[in-house]
Amino acid sequence: MTEPSAESPADKLARATPPRVARRIRGLSDRAIAWIFVAPSIFLLLAVNIFPLIWTINLSFTNFRANRNREVEYIGLRNYERILTDSDIWLTMQATAHFLFWTIFFQVLIGFTLAWLINRKFRGNDLWTTIIVLPMMLSPAVVGNFWTFLYQPQIGLFNYVVSFFTGVDPSSFSMIGQVNLAPWSIVIVDTWMWTPFIMLICLAGLRSIPDYIYEAAEVDRASKWRQFWTITIPMALPFLMLAVLFRGIENFKMFDLVVQLTGGGPGSVTELTSINLKREAFEKWRTGYASAYAVILFVTVFGLASIYVKALNKVKER
Amino acid sequence: MAEVVLTGITKRFGRDTALSDVSLTVPDGAFVVLLGPTGAGKTTTLRLIAGLETPDAGDITIGGESVLGLTPAQRDVAMVFQQYSLYPHMTVRDNLAFPLRSPILRTPEHEITGKINEVAEVLHIAHKLNNKATALSGGEMQRVSIGRALVRAPQLFLMDEPLSSLDAKLRADLRIELKRIHSALGATLLYVTHDQIEAMTMASHVGVLDHGRLAQFGPPREIYENPVSLTVAGRLGLPRINALPADLFPGAPAGAATIGLRPEHIAQGEGQTAQITRVEHLGDQTRLHLSLHGHDIITLTDPHTDLRGGQSIAIAPRKPLYFDASGVRLA
Ligand SMILES: Nc1ncnc2c1ncn2[C@@H]1O[C@H](COP(=O)(O)OP(=O)(O)O)[C@@H](O)[C@H]1O
Ligand SMILES: [Mg+2]
Repeated sequence: MTEPSAESPADKLARATPPRVARRIRGLSDRAIAWIFVAPSIFLLLAVNIFPLIWTINLSFTNFRANRNREVEYIGLRNYERILTDSDIWLTMQATAHFLFWTIFFQVLIGFTLAWLINRKFRGNDLWTTIIVLPMMLSPAVVGNFWTFLYQPQIGLFNYVVSFFTGVDPSSFSMIGQVNLAPWSIVIVDTWMWTPFIMLICLAGLRSIPDYIYEAAEVDRASKWRQFWTITIPMALPFLMLAVLFRGIENFKMFDLVVQLTGGGPGSVTELTSINLKREAFEKWRTGYASAYAVILFVTVFGLASIYVKALNKVKER
Repeated sequence: MAEVVLTGITKRFGRDTALSDVSLTVPDGAFVVLLGPTGAGKTTTLRLIAGLETPDAGDITIGGESVLGLTPAQRDVAMVFQQYSLYPHMTVRDNLAFPLRSPILRTPEHEITGKINEVAEVLHIAHKLNNKATALSGGEMQRVSIGRALVRAPQLFLMDEPLSSLDAKLRADLRIELKRIHSALGATLLYVTHDQIEAMTMASHVGVLDHGRLAQFGPPREIYENPVSLTVAGRLGLPRINALPADLFPGAPAGAATIGLRPEHIAQGEGQTAQITRVEHLGDQTRLHLSLHGHDIITLTDPHTDLRGGQSIAIAPRKPLYFDASGVRLA
């Protein structure tokens, strides 16, 4: 005999059905939900950024070579010692510093001037902005190839233009081939390509200065010159500094354009650190050594950028 | 000498006419207040005199000479802008020093400091001198803006609603300060405001602007007692003048469409019977809201009155102002 069940079939069914998903999620704390949202990004960050970084630091203390299958030994700070005492690497650093300084110098000078000119409301300034911004939109590989042609001593337009203005024979010099000119050849191309970027950011800065401030200055009897130095420059400075930070970090890692143009030559006068590093890691396969090199570069960029960001914040707070 | 004369000034912005054919003489050393509703052209008038806008027609002279060809700097005027226009990246101190640090002036630094401290004291902003200009309340910004005009000693001050965002007490203090500074410096002052107390207490002359036209210009008492039109009559006086159909009371002259009665120009205890709808005790005065044949009327009465809403009271006009159908005053 079966006893009559206390539960109706409907009750049983209800018990078997788990709480609805929405209810379960609503039961979570806000904190937990927040973690669920950020977890995928944190996981990705750990996997592709943090883990390789730690692994690189680990490798930098070894004599590991990725193309050989021999026992890996920990050799302490030997890699670091060798890098920091290597005069070739110091030359590379110098080439990089030269490249960084002059590209940023010219780009800021020309970029800011262009922004200032464009900002004076004249007809067709939108068209000019578009034209000026074009180089920035090209692929560095294309730009590299294209300038290699322009720099040809025989047929290159660049040499022709220089000779037109100075009277020097166009085939008497080679921007890419000559030791004294090659560093400038990459500075010119990078400036040509990235000045528009600085210009755009400066333009945003200049446009953020309201007209009424200039009107007040006008009534306060400040000359245009004084207005420029006491209003325009200080108020656009945070934007300008941000642009320099972006370009500085980008150019510290400069690779593609230089490889296309000079390949680091002639000799190694245009061998920037990133190119040098790639040679050590993937041509000579000195993986441990290259890791130490990478760590040194990372610390340098990170240190410089931190100091710079502090300065930037100070300027913004003023 | 800084007599300012505007002759036939017209200013258009696209299809809008901000000012049309305005002629106005600001006597040397006068304190002239411009009154008018929003959009009447008050700010535009100041900007034209300062040289920040160019008129489409007419001439502006300062001290007898046309200034149309001169830059704002050459006109030597100080201006307090309606929207403050402080230099946001500078401290309050540097904002105040800015007009003095002009290379032409070559003011010695200790003189600048002295001047700034003096002005900051007057405007109660001495404790904010090292703040950034953006780290201030609206009222503080406004005072810095006034201060930036006061540190200079120009021949002409232009002030666009300079006390509008201050609290009542500070406003009263600064009214007295500005008046004192004005008489001490002997400079000419052109002052825009909405506040009728400012207009009545500070002005030597009041100009009423309406839709870009100068409706009336004269001493404040004359504007109050002898307005040329209904709009001008409505500009001054608080509570506002009562505008009623002319036939509500007997004795209207021919052609009168509207009778204007100032609240204090209504006699009580005689004439027609009105209902009291509301009694407002304001402390120093009591306002009576009346209803007469369906028209609302406001009048004043004794602060200690025991009249109440619902009662009736007899009223009669005293010194009425009559206007025709287009709002023009009848003699
Ligand atoms: N820069 C401008 N561009 C277009 N219209 C303007 C400009 N400045 C003022 N106006 C117009 O002119 C009229 C008068 O403005 P304004 O002088 O600022 O009035 P108020 O200061 O009396 O409130 C308004 O109708 C306003 O819209
Ligand atoms: Mg205004």
